[in-house]
Amino acid sequence: MLNVAIRKQLEGFTLEAKWATNAPIVALVGPSGAGKTLTLQCIAGLETPDDGDITCAGVTLFDSRRHTNLRPQARRIGYVFQGYALFPHMTVLENIAYGGKRSTAPFSNTPSGKRCRTPFSRGPLFWIDRLGLSPLQSRYPSQLSGGQQQRVALARALATDPDLLLLDEPLSALDAPLRRQLRSELAQTLREWGKAAVLVTHDLAEAYQIADVVVMCEDGKTTGAVAKNDLLWNPSSERVARLIGARNVLSGVIAENGAESVVLNWRGAKLHAARSPTHALDARPGDRLAFFVRPEYVRLIRKDRGTPDPARHGNIFHGHIVGDRDEGTTWVLFLKLDEPGEPSQGTYDLEVEVPKLVYERLNIASDRRWDVSIHPGSVQVLPGH
Amino acid sequence: MDLAPIWLSLRVASLATVLTLVAGVPIAWLLARRHFPGRDVVAAALLTPLVLPPTVLGYYLLMLIGRRGPLGRVLAGWNIELAFTWRAAVVAAAVGSIALLIKTVQVGFESIDHRLEQAAQTLGRSDWSIFWTISAPLAWRSILAGTVLAFCRALGDFGITLMVAGDIPGVTQTMPLAIYDHVQANELHSANVLAMVSVAFVVVLMVALGRAARLRY
Repeated sequence: MLNVAIRKQLEGFTLEAKWATNAPIVALVGPSGAGKTLTLQCIAGLETPDDGDITCAGVTLFDSRRHTNLRPQARRIGYVFQGYALFPHMTVLENIAYGGKRSTAPFSNTPSGKRCRTPFSRGPLFWIDRLGLSPLQSRYPSQLSGGQQQRVALARALATDPDLLLLDEPLSALDAPLRRQLRSELAQTLREWGKAAVLVTHDLAEAYQIADVVVMCEDGKTTGAVAKNDLLWNPSSERVARLIGARNVLSGVIAENGAESVVLNWRGAKLHAARSPTHALDARPGDRLAFFVRPEYVRLIRKDRGTPDPARHGNIFHGHIVGDRDEGTTWVLFLKLDEPGEPSQGTYDLEVEVPKLVYERLNIASDRRWDVSIHPGSVQVLPGH
Repeated sequence: MDLAPIWLSLRVASLATVLTLVAGVPIAWLLARRHFPGRDVVAAALLTPLVLPPTVLGYYLLMLIGRRGPLGRVLAGWNIELAFTWRAAVVAAAVGSIALLIKTVQVGFESIDHRLEQAAQTLGRSDWSIFWTISAPLAWRSILAGTVLAFCRALGDFGITLMVAGDIPGVTQTMPLAIYDHVQANELHSANVLAMVSVAFVVVLMVALGRAARLRY
């Protein structure tokens, strides 16, 4: 159980982080300058929050009201720094063995008062072997590749047998192909290690692959910890939807609020949406409600198959394409509906994503008028604020 | 000619350099790594020896360590006489050179990526241990440069030494003072030898310093 509820005022920036989780691996995700690293530094004891409290596995690391503030050395926290911060004047072995092994925990004293050595805890040699660093032991950090440096930093942090591991953008210094490979390796190492970890990243895909729960950060503020599937497939609010990079984030006025579905007035038409399975919708007809539609879930209705069948195609709209963009394997189309009035996203109403093959088969490059249908289940309402 | 000033100068400058190292490195570390109230004032005060006229420095130092000065009286209580002894020459040289050492070493500590020291903290090492295993080894070039600069400055001190140690042949007469006396007495040959010895020391040290700076850790 990791609980963070802190506030820290800096010049022109205020961090207000508040989240708690029981999940082993949590990711802090957000753009740079969101306060992710500062949060990690506060957890590690390298920065002192103005007020609040931090507890980890029942141990209070910081509590402003009780004037508790453990030194970094006493926190049993491993830290993999952004850029790794390896000691340049020490070999790989010296780096990894530098911390020694924290064989005794301040909180694991035996009843007799003697400190007991955790059996089978894993020291420097275990991690050197486990992460394949044996052949590099006597090299200096400047003689290592980025991926090797990352593994040394990981081994160095794990070799002190910490209870919590903090990772600050552990993969961002690497180029894309290596990053994908090391991402899987890192996820596997953390699972095997089996203790709690906090991962800071700006890459949602990285967070999704490695973490169990995700905390979104923006301008010093955080959302609570959300299970990663909920975050991506069932975000709670318009703000979270925008933070995860959802496209077609729109809003309509509630016309009917039924038990199973919601009907919205949007762009002069009725849009049927499924209710969120987990987030309560506390709104009445006439209220404004945000929702979003994934671009790849908007279906073009083929013209060679007769008129669209409203029973099979829900939410049918008519419009034309005002612009498109080649994204390699897919095309993004910008569709403006025929309804009068301002388009809901500037010059267009909906972003539609189609595979390149479909784009070519349906001759979309020259045929710009299309009917589209949006399945009610793929209209995601965003009840939170 | 009398070569005693050379040996005296070397002894005085060496001891002064040891003093500046012992006192200056911790001060430089504090200025680089700790934020305490009045830090800017302390930093500025420590630099004044670089710009004040040596006679002014010497005057205040004499007021401090002279027989009637506050420090001088304490020392007299322990039967230690400082003013106008070779020890005063050591203090004078140290006072004149410590600012050079502090400034050089401070820059060295500041240029270390602070996260290295933070990493060492999260790895459970004490601040004392971190200083000896991370900060000092990574700042060694600056510490060496500061030491050599301080030694050269100590070797060349004239004004402060004259004020607090006097110019007593065989006791406090260091090379710069001896050169001055030789010139006054029109013994240009002796002045020339001592001047060349001074230049040789500094040149050799500076070349060695440049060589060392190219070495890896």
